[in-house]
Amino acid sequence: MTENQDRTWKELLQEFIKGIDKAIEELEKRDVENIPGAKQALLKRLNNMKLHFPNNDGEIFIRAINDKIQNAFFPDTQDFIEAFEKILKSRTHEQDFIINELLNGFVTSKAKAIALGTQGPVIDRMVEAFTKRNDFHIVDHQFFAMFGDPNKPRSYIKKQLEELVNMFGLISKELVVEKDKRTSERKIYTFYTFPDGILKILEEKYIIIDEDLGHAYVSEEFDRTVFICMFLANITINRDNLERIGGSYTVNGICAIFALVLLLSFMPKLSVDEKNPILRDPTFNEQNMSVIPKSWMMKQVLEPLFEPLIKVVAYRLGGGLWYSKIIDSEINKKIHAQIRFLLKDVNKWVLGQLVRVEVPIFISIANIFTEITVGTDSQE
Amino acid sequence: MSSRREKWTDILPRYMTFISHMRPILRETRRIIMNLDADLLLDTEVLDKIRQEEEKRNIRKVRALSEFSAMYRSNVYEIIKDFIIKYRDKIPIIDIKDYIVDFLHESIDALSILQNITNPDERNLENTYLYRLAKFIEEIIFSRGNNIKHIYEKLLDHTPKFYECQRHLLMPHTYYREKIENPDFFMIPGISPKVYQIINNITSLYNLDPNFGNFPEKDNYEIPMIITNEVFLPYIDSIANAEEEAIENIAERIGFRILDGIFLAPQKNTVEIFLKHNFLRENKQSDGTIRLIPQFSNETLILYYLAFASLRRGFLSKELINWISMNFAFLAYMGILKWKLSDENIFYAIFKDLQTNEKVLPYLMKLICFPNYLGLDKMKIRDSVQYRKEIFNFIGSQIDNLKDFIEEIAIYCKTIR
Repeated sequence: MTENQDRTWKELLQEFIKGIDKAIEELEKRDVENIPGAKQALLKRLNNMKLHFPNNDGEIFIRAINDKIQNAFFPDTQDFIEAFEKILKSRTHEQDFIINELLNGFVTSKAKAIALGTQGPVIDRMVEAFTKRNDFHIVDHQFFAMFGDPNKPRSYIKKQLEELVNMFGLISKELVVEKDKRTSERKIYTFYTFPDGILKILEEKYIIIDEDLGHAYVSEEFDRTVFICMFLANITINRDNLERIGGSYTVNGICAIFALVLLLSFMPKLSVDEKNPILRDPTFNEQNMSVIPKSWMMKQVLEPLFEPLIKVVAYRLGGGLWYSKIIDSEINKKIHAQIRFLLKDVNKWVLGQLVRVEVPIFISIANIFTEITVGTDSQE
Repeated sequence: MSSRREKWTDILPRYMTFISHMRPILRETRRIIMNLDADLLLDTEVLDKIRQEEEKRNIRKVRALSEFSAMYRSNVYEIIKDFIIKYRDKIPIIDIKDYIVDFLHESIDALSILQNITNPDERNLENTYLYRLAKFIEEIIFSRGNNIKHIYEKLLDHTPKFYECQRHLLMPHTYYREKIENPDFFMIPGISPKVYQIINNITSLYNLDPNFGNFPEKDNYEIPMIITNEVFLPYIDSIANAEEEAIENIAERIGFRILDGIFLAPQKNTVEIFLKHNFLRENKQSDGTIRLIPQFSNETLILYYLAFASLRRGFLSKELINWISMNFAFLAYMGILKWKLSDENIFYAIFKDLQTNEKVLPYLMKLICFPNYLGLDKMKIRDSVQYRKEIFNFIGSQIDNLKDFIEEIAIYCKTIR
């Protein structure tokens, strides 16, 4: 089916434009901004979006999502190793940051499935576990030891390890010890490591294999990135198999996160009066931060924009299957409401102003918008 | 080890025990390597033999100590062997030998500082490394003061550089044992990820669209307030239940209170602090009342929590005390290592090894808790081996800002004495 004939896509675009209309209407009702001109700048931007987004069958969305999000986070391939390699190549510190927030703050709050009572730096624990050995394996016993007596692991800890192994796509090997030193009984240890193809990619930069000694060390570079890329690669190749990526909860979370990234990228930069105290605040860095209007974060404005945008992202990343999982249920709404406050350090408050840290992904998405709008303006 | 009230003179010798066994091993090794013909180093069997001989010489009565010494020595020799094998084809063996001797020298120096970090009768207290380092770190991330206002100001001074460390200090990774609502109202736990999200929500809701109501303690003034329920709207039914029930406790720790049973509003003292630091500003309304408009930053409420915990440090939960003292011990230890060891020192790995950490840091944690230093209740430091493993596992999951802080501590170390 070509884009031109795709009815769902057209409907989604229309829904988004309707959302913009609603947001404009709400925005006109009240003013929470205290920077002169902020509300007007946001109104102007929303009107611009309304004008340009439907053009060329939603070109801005297609380019922003396909080129900037899909290529970097969910490349178009069915091969785990290839997906991993592509994601690893395009990774940046900021991507890590965003995805790490997603994983630690969001996916782990899926308390019942993944991190019963132990949310928090799951990935850091995995990194730590791999760093502590010189054969690039972790053993279940070692993981259990992080959460209590390794000889009597609680069942939810076992389940959690299983979930993590699935989430990252690790492979397992069993070692049977006929007579365990402690109990003199037969014991099975399970070792986990990365698939061979991934190990090859990681060699040199992330893992140092010392053939003389038969050791495999992790280098200083080895950090949570590797796991983040595994997580993303796993989603990439299993995007048609929701069971393997954590079901609709994950889909909603991921789509909401990237919808937020898109929205943040589209927000206009504000110029602040030179007397504004924010400019003297030591945590504000004019070089890589911009003040953006905060009124889009108001529930009344954000909701009509956010809901259709999540669907747009879902449809582009996971097609009809993902789209069908974004239903306006109460639970989904709450997930989305949580996401709203999630990207804390790239979207932060300084003296009551909303500040965007200008990380590359925001800049490149914003550039697409500027390029297209400026192009159209000059044609006009 | 029992949990009886331990004195300084009980803990210091325990701290010294392992360190005082590490230094002679390194000195012996350095002497042996120095006296060895560099060419002999090429044959790793020579090293194995030397190690075996050395092991025979040391027969100690205390099993734990002899086991530790054997482990330590074998680690040292293994690292030397690995280093030789790795570089023997690339670097002349005579240079390799020099490197090893230099690395050993640096390590002995570091151990010497660690061994003399303080003294049995705390003589000349203000010039000891332990005191100076504890105070240096404390000033930046857990400042002291007579009241919250004073502490808040001090912390805020260091926020631009070390906010992430300040925040880190409040978030024990073993929080899952914490009860956010303690039957003892005064008990202060750390910030769990959920409470952190809730504090962030409160910050956002205040900045976005707060309600305003009368300032109970000041006529003609209006303070901002939000509806408590709104904070919990984003949560799926049971996810933030515990926090919802404990909202009054959480509110107190960030300088807030519940008004009329439904509103979350700043306390009187908090209003003063926030006004002073521009987190609230006065705005005269047309009816003559003065409205206090919130303009919070990410750190506004977190720093209040930290200042509150610092002021009431006698009432911190067990987990938080363990976490804070562990971070202090770790920062002091790593600062000293950073100061004395070059980045490429091959023995860094031994110092950072869990087995070494768990021999040195627990005692350092307790020493740091004494009244002259952090003044925390050291009786709450857990002695369980399992627990130590658990919390030390997080030592490695460092945040970048912590690394910057360690660098700063290393620079500070140079100025001591």
